[in-house]
Amino acid sequence: MPPGDVPRGPRGASTALATGQAGALGWLRCRTGRRNEEGEITSVRSAAVDPVRVEVNGLTKTFGTVRAVDDLSFTVEPGQVTGFLGPNGAGKTTTLRMALGLITPDNGTTTFNGVRYAGLPEPMRQVGAVLETAFHPARSGRDHLRVYCRATGLPVRRADEVLEQVGLGTAGRRRAGGYSLGMRQRLGLATALLGDPAVLVLDEPANGLDPEGIQWLRGFLRHLAHTQGRTVLVSSHLLAEVEQTADRVVIVGAGKLVREGTLAELRSGNAGSVLVRSPHSTALADLLRTTGTTVAPTDAIPDGLTVTGLSTDEVGRRAFAGGIELHELRSHTSGLEEIYFQLTAGQEQYAAAHAEQGAA
Amino acid sequence: MGTVVARLVRAEWTKLFTTRVWIGLLLGACVLSGAFAALFTAFAGNQDSGLPPLDSPEYARLAFSIATNATVISVVLGIIGITQEYRHRTATPTFLATPQRGRVVIAKLLAYALVAVPYAVLVCAVTVAVVLVYGNARGNAPELTGENLEVLAFAGLALVVYTVIGVGLGALLKNQVGAIVAALVYLYVVEPLLRSIPATSGAYKWLPGGALEAMTATFQGPDLLEQWQGVLLLLGYGLAAALLGTLLAVRRDVV
Repeated sequence: MPPGDVPRGPRGASTALATGQAGALGWLRCRTGRRNEEGEITSVRSAAVDPVRVEVNGLTKTFGTVRAVDDLSFTVEPGQVTGFLGPNGAGKTTTLRMALGLITPDNGTTTFNGVRYAGLPEPMRQVGAVLETAFHPARSGRDHLRVYCRATGLPVRRADEVLEQVGLGTAGRRRAGGYSLGMRQRLGLATALLGDPAVLVLDEPANGLDPEGIQWLRGFLRHLAHTQGRTVLVSSHLLAEVEQTADRVVIVGAGKLVREGTLAELRSGNAGSVLVRSPHSTALADLLRTTGTTVAPTDAIPDGLTVTGLSTDEVGRRAFAGGIELHELRSHTSGLEEIYFQLTAGQEQYAAAHAEQGAA
Repeated sequence: MGTVVARLVRAEWTKLFTTRVWIGLLLGACVLSGAFAALFTAFAGNQDSGLPPLDSPEYARLAFSIATNATVISVVLGIIGITQEYRHRTATPTFLATPQRGRVVIAKLLAYALVAVPYAVLVCAVTVAVVLVYGNARGNAPELTGENLEVLAFAGLALVVYTVIGVGLGALLKNQVGAIVAALVYLYVVEPLLRSIPATSGAYKWLPGGALEAMTATFQGPDLLEQWQGVLLLLGYGLAAALLGTLLAVRRDVV
C-alpha cells in the first residue's frame, strides 16, 4: 500500500491511552453523577476522534446458487448511528464480514476513509467489530481481552478499562463459558472497544440483552456517535430496535439495497395510520374522507375508525371543528414499520426459494 | 513486520497459557514417556520381551529415544493450538485484529515451535531420570555420553518438529476432533501397517515416521534413510504442513 493511502493514523487513540483517558470512560464517569465534567470531557474526546466514512461499493457474494449479497452499495457517515436493517437471511452478516475482510467478496469493495480493512495499519485501533459472541469457554473475559491487547500492541490494562466501560468489571476474571448471553454481548463489545476505534460495527448487538441492557446499549451507541463523533453501524432485523437509536437506516432485502436514508426521509409520505373512536363514527368518517386519505372501520372495535394519510393532530382538529365527540385518538402504526414491511415483504421467501432450488 | 510477529507470538502464548490444556498435555507427555522408560528398563535383557540387555549399546540408544513416544502429544498440542480458533470461533476476532492471516499462522508456528523446546527438554529429562534411576537400581544404567546424548537430542528435536507438523495439520483440517482423530489413526494404524507390509515398507522411509525412525532408530527395522536425511525430511514435513496450512487459512472465508 502506498503511504499516501494511509488515513490519518489511529487518531488520538494512542495519546488518549497514554494519558489514561480511555475512550468513553469519561462518559462513564458522567453517568455516575459528575455531570459538570461532561462538557469538558466530551470536547476533549470529540477533538480526538477523526471522522471516518465507510463506503460499501458494489459488494456481491454468491454461496452456491444463492446470491447472498447483490451489488450492494451504501455509505456510513461519522457522527451518526446507522441502522443496517433487513429480515433474517437478507445478507447483513455476510455484508459486514465482507466489509471486514473475513469473507472475500466476488465483487466490490469496502473502504474506511478510502482504505480497505486489510490495508489499515492497525485495524483494531480504527475499526471495532462485534460479529459474534463466541469465546474460549475456559478463558476468562479479562484474559480474552488481554490476548487482543498483545496482538495489537495495546497495553494490557486496556482490558480492565473496557471491562469497566461495558459494565463487566467484576465478572472479568470468571471463565467466559459461564457468561450469560447478555454478558457475552458486553464482552464482545469490550473487545471491539479495546483499540478505541473511530468506527464501530455491531451485528445484532441487542440479541440476548435484557431490557435494561438494551436501554444501556442505545444510550452508549448514541453517545459514541453523537458526542464523540464515531461512526456506528448497527445491524438488526427488528425495526423497533433501530428506530430509537439510529439516525439513518440502510434497508436490505435478499441481498439488495432497498432503501437508504434518514428516518425522517423514510417517514415522509407515510404518516402511518391513526385509530380514532367516536359515538358518531359515520359522521366522523365523512368528515375525514378527503383526497389522499382512507378511512375504514376498525376490526373488533365497533365505533372505531382506522385512518391513513392524516396525523393525529389533523384528525383531532377536524373533529373539533366539526363538533364531533371523540373517545379515543392515537397513532396505530408508526408508518416506518409499515414501510419496512412493505419494503422487505417476500424477500425472505425469495431467499428460501433459491435455497430449495439449490437443494433440488 | 518483525515486531508485529513478535506481538502475535506473545498473543499466542497468552492464549495457550490462559487455559489449562497445556498442563494436561505436558503431564500426559511426561507420564507417557516416563512409563515407557520404566517398562523398557524393567524388561531389558528379558528373553521373552526381545529387549536388549541393560549394558548393551542397543539398549542405551533405545532408552534415550523413548521420548519420541510423546510425539503424538506434540501433534495434538499443535493441532489444538490452531483448531481451537475455529472450534470456539475466536478466529473472527483473531483475524479482525490481524487481517494479514499469514502472519497469524506464522506466529502460531513460531510460538508453538518455541514452546515445544522447554516441553521437549522436560519430557527428555523425565525419560533420562527414569532410565538412570531405575537402571542404576537394577544394577546398570546406560551412560549419557557421545552417541547416546545425540539420540536424546534428536528425540527432543522430533518432539519440536511434530508440534510444528500439528500446527500445519490443524490449519489444513480446521476441525479439531477430525484433525486429532486423523493424526492418531495415521500414527498408530496407517504408518505401522505401511511399515510392516513388505510391498509398502520401501515407501515407509519417506514418511514422517520413517524419518523419525531414521533419526533415532535402534532396532533392525525396514530400510531407512541416513540419520541426517531423516532430520531434513522431518523438518521438510513440518515446513510443508506449515506452508499448506498458511495458504489455506489465508484463502478460506471465516463465516
